[in-house]
Amino acid sequence: MKARLKRIALAAAAVFVLIQFIQPARNESGQVMDTDISKTLDIPEGVQVILARSCFDCHSNNTHYPWYSYIQPGSWFMAYHVRNGKEKLNFSEFGAYSKRRQGSKLESIGKQIEGGVMPLPSYLLLHRNAALSPSEKELLINWANDSRDSIATNH
Amino acid sequence: MIFCALILGLAACKNNPSQNENKAQDSGQSVSGMETMYACPMHPEITGKKGDKCSKCGMELTEVKGMTQSASTNNAPTNNQPGGTASIKAIIDGYLILKNALTSDKTQDAAAAGKALEATFKGFDKSVLTAEQKKMYDEVEDDAREHAEHIGSNGGNIEHQREHFALLSKDVYDLVKAFGSSGQPLYQDFCPMYDKKKGAIWLSETKEIANPYYGKKMYTCGKVKEEIK
Repeated sequence: MKARLKRIALAAAAVFVLIQFIQPARNESGQVMDTDISKTLDIPEGVQVILARSCFDCHSNNTHYPWYSYIQPGSWFMAYHVRNGKEKLNFSEFGAYSKRRQGSKLESIGKQIEGGVMPLPSYLLLHRNAALSPSEKELLINWANDSRDSIATNH
Repeated sequence: MIFCALILGLAACKNNPSQNENKAQDSGQSVSGMETMYACPMHPEITGKKGDKCSKCGMELTEVKGMTQSASTNNAPTNNQPGGTASIKAIIDGYLILKNALTSDKTQDAAAAGKALEATFKGFDKSVLTAEQKKMYDEVEDDAREHAEHIGSNGGNIEHQREHFALLSKDVYDLVKAFGSSGQPLYQDFCPMYDKKKGAIWLSETKEIANPYYGKKMYTCGKVKEEIK
């Protein structure tokens, strides 16, 4: 019985070591694209800081990777969130969306933050610093709604 | 007699697309000669009759100079050709199926309809559109397709489906205003309560109100804002 447990533990350790060699590609373009949201909309400094801390890791082309994302399966977990997040909304490509879609995105941003859907609760388990305080939520929601209205009237 | 001519005309259209285009242009010009175009000074894509108000900002529409271009856009839906108008019809049909699923609180049916509508948007034949129409369509499609997709992937979460439906309804409404409703009489309805009393519109094929935002809870809540023929 003991020998069997030992074998299982050894096998698990071997798998753990082996998967370290399988690292997904990193999401770090290192540049600000022309289609970046900062070149499309006015973003106050306070909002920019919160967006960078709580949103851009999954919703832009530049993820800030925490230490555990270098250890498997942490990097898969991270890569999964980044891939899904960018598919739904990519702040680095925001300027390439049609005006209509930009408006829809801003509307959804406000609603999702208000409803506590974003940042994802499952993501916050590991990324506590991405959590939004009530005043930060309010700031982001107001910014999203104001930006949406300005797109609607300028268009 | 007229009926026979119509059938012959339709048959000819099918056989000879280039002739068909000429005919369409003829009818377009004759109509533009009779009517003056009105458009919103802020949103040139919003057009209508004298005294109408812009659906986006509420400003009164003003007369458009250089009529021929916008007139041809406006008249596109009036010719009964296969192609462009037929596909818009597919979008309207798909939208109405989705709307009716939400009205009867059937979230899985709505998801299926959303997926189908997404495919319809994707498969829309843009080759029959003018450059101006194509620009308009691309702008709408970029947004609408995503709403249809989200409705499709959120079976079981009808409130989220309805959020996207509200935005999708605006897109489809603008499409219908630009391309015509392909002979399908439509009503633009308004629910003043939805989204914390910000309100939301939807399109319906019936004059009777059947509210897709609340379903059974407030089935007859809402009012007709506009009749589209």
